Amino acid sequence: MPVKSPKQRRILARTAPETFVGRGEQLRELSALGSPKSGQQGLLLLAAPQSGATELLRQTFDELFRQRGGPTPIYFAFSRSDAAVTSAARRFLHTFITQTVAHRRDDPALVNASPSLRTLLDLAAPQDYEWVERLIQSFERAQDEGDERALVRLCLGAPQQAASAGVRTVVMFDDTHLVERLRGESGLGPSLAQSAVQSGVPFVIAGPRRRLFDLLNGHAQTVGLDALRRLHLDRLKESDARTLADGLAQRLGVEMNDETRDLLVQQLESSPYLIAAILEAARTTATRLASFRDFQSLYVDELLGGRVFRRYNAVLEEVAPSLTLRRGLLRVLHESAQGNGGKSPAEVWMKRLGTDAVEFERVMRLLHMHELASFHATYVETTPTTVWRDFLRVSYRLQVAAEPRALVVADTLVETLKRAPRTMARHYRREAALKLGEVMRGFNFERVPKSLLRYDRFLRMYRGLPRDEARAGLDAETDTVLLPQIVHAASCASFHPSITQFCDEERCSVAHGFESGEYTEGVEVVWIAAEVESKLEAGRALVGLWLDRLEQVAQACGFERVRFWLISREGFSAEAAELLNEREAYGSCSEQLDLLTARLSASSAQGAGEASADEFAIELPMSEDTELIAAHTVEQIARRMEFQPEAINQIKTALVEACINAAEHSLSTERKIYNRFRVEDDKLVITVSSRGLSAPVSLSENGTQLADKNGGEGSKGRRGWGLKLIRTLMDDVEFERVDDGTRLRMTKYLRK
Amino acid sequence: MSESLADTTSPSSAVEDVAIVYAGDYVNKMSGQRIERECLQRMERGCRALVINFRDTELVNSIGVSILLGVIDAAEDHDTRVAFSNMSPHTVKLFELLGLTRLVVLADSEEAALAILKEFAAPSPGH
Repeated sequence: MPVKSPKQRRILARTAPETFVGRGEQLRELSALGSPKSGQQGLLLLAAPQSGATELLRQTFDELFRQRGGPTPIYFAFSRSDAAVTSAARRFLHTFITQTVAHRRDDPALVNASPSLRTLLDLAAPQDYEWVERLIQSFERAQDEGDERALVRLCLGAPQQAASAGVRTVVMFDDTHLVERLRGESGLGPSLAQSAVQSGVPFVIAGPRRRLFDLLNGHAQTVGLDALRRLHLDRLKESDARTLADGLAQRLGVEMNDETRDLLVQQLESSPYLIAAILEAARTTATRLASFRDFQSLYVDELLGGRVFRRYNAVLEEVAPSLTLRRGLLRVLHESAQGNGGKSPAEVWMKRLGTDAVEFERVMRLLHMHELASFHATYVETTPTTVWRDFLRVSYRLQVAAEPRALVVADTLVETLKRAPRTMARHYRREAALKLGEVMRGFNFERVPKSLLRYDRFLRMYRGLPRDEARAGLDAETDTVLLPQIVHAASCASFHPSITQFCDEERCSVAHGFESGEYTEGVEVVWIAAEVESKLEAGRALVGLWLDRLEQVAQACGFERVRFWLISREGFSAEAAELLNEREAYGSCSEQLDLLTARLSASSAQGAGEASADEFAIELPMSEDTELIAAHTVEQIARRMEFQPEAINQIKTALVEACINAAEHSLSTERKIYNRFRVEDDKLVITVSSRGLSAPVSLSENGTQLADKNGGEGSKGRRGWGLKLIRTLMDDVEFERVDDGTRLRMTKYLRK
Repeated sequence: MSESLADTTSPSSAVEDVAIVYAGDYVNKMSGQRIERECLQRMERGCRALVINFRDTELVNSIGVSILLGVIDAAEDHDTRVAFSNMSPHTVKLFELLGLTRLVVLADSEEAALAILKEFAAPSPGH
């Protein structure tokens, strides 16, 4: 959604606020930093390469500048032209005073001007004159004294000086990774972090997500840095990237159709920087983007000598300043990208580059920071993003293999055009995938009807019924499956890359979790779910093949307790369903998956939300007989629901036992029992929770005939019947995992 | 031998060698212990049979049940029979569920319980 503001003046932003998309949430958070309600002092902006962190900070600056009466925004970006720590510090002080004076005078034009400090003093508002003059005098003195550390401290301390004079600021530091290049007695990163953390002034420090912490910490841990809020900035969502491309094309007057826009977004992997670069290039070369060919021609030009080339080349020049090293690096990067999954041993890299260990470490650190390669101590992996790999290929052919330019251009154009339909097809398949990882990530000990995971049951009971009827039937089903709590889900390819030989990455997922509320080895489980491609019901042979594949994945990855779940849009043949049952695997069709997803969403909304209109809650102290208060309360509720007297007594007894159990086993220090009663059309759901120790969670299947008089047990030995009794008296009983304590959920169905 | 109703301060009574103990509205730890104490006292005084009357009992919890089982154990040690009377259907079901009903005589009323136990409570010949 475009970000709206009442007065759309652009000061530092390069994009009009209405075309700045996909960052509304982050912009709001940054803009709120200076507000007294924010409660946040500092924030680290950890940015992925080309994710648009600079534009976000510039937009924040403009937003804050426009809010009259609010804090003064300060935007300062470290620059490659800052040769030394002192020059960067001096420039910061100058920027700080300029932007403060500009904001206090409501004079945006001043922000982009470069007046001298003395001119700024003349321009300063009367109420600021004194502290600005003091600051400038101190600065001039420190410069004369030649004490670098004192000078840096003074410059970085400017926001604190202003604050002590009652001037509130929000200071944003950008491109922090460049401080590493600065000459000086001490690293500027740690000084900057220390000064920001201790200043008491709201601040943002932005930099590459893979390097920012190391830069700010230096050799020692900066106190308070870990406690700061971290805001992660990744590439745009695809929908936002499409909006951005449309907005930019319109603003720049570039003709572009939807198909080409979609390819552009896919190929440039939603990078706001690259999208803007290509559209800018289209404007300057008066190229329309009305076909794949138009786009790929422009893309290849950009790759060989335009903005895209310049961007990557600048990084390579920074990483490998000498031509020889750069050529060597291009060769190794290119060859590594062509090889085994883009990975090669670090030792091979070092030998091929012909560098010593120190230089190799420097090169790797920079490649890693710019996310052009990942350095994993023993091996190096070239980043598999499309544009970077294209850049490597063409640069290698031109600069290392010295192939004729025309040949490289022609080949690249032909290849990118051939690739375009594949890129789009992959996008469509990804969009159409059932997103099994996301579904499993939502599992949290829900009890769901078995029919949602067993296709043969579903077929028999619900297939062909109207959705409402099926839903009602499922609600009434008592044969249920307790889902695990999933703690991590990722594509199967992340664990076992060769699975991509058989399916798209997003069609097979692995989810790690626990089957009950205790995080112990015995209840650890791995679910592997795969989407089986079949236009009709999947047959036995196909299902057998998939189960074998998943078995191999489980074995290769060392997963001990596994549950396989196959999803086939049209379901499974009778023989296939039989095989699933034989191998204790689950199988669902897309309708079952929809119903399951809806159920999980409803359950999580209930869990996350506050009490609904049909929910009652009471909080009891753990003291003598307070369980009776709970019992009388539930009696009133159950009567209103028209439960039979016998059922009411059962509910009361179960609740009494649950309360006693909570009080006896929790060792709770706050000594409270929390009861919630949720009234639904066909059932009453009671949860009893307490903080403290987790209660034993194993419930006997059969609670009958518990007293064994001949067992020789005293009355103490006979204790511990409560849970079994609850299980017998209620229809569903389960423990839910909570971090600190136990929550018991009991359900009684209404049978009128 | 018999104990009069008048000499008891708690809601219990004794007829001949049969003691009658009245359970409260909620049989939990505290009221269970009261029942236990009274029953033990009666048995120590020579009662041969006990009737626990649940006419006022609305709820029984598992702690109360475990104490009642302790009473049944003690009664066996004292060669004393135990009857439960005037139980609500819910209490009967609960006791059935927990296996108590196998260990005691069940009676609809106190009178019925007394009638069943009377013979057992009578002194044996030659006593």
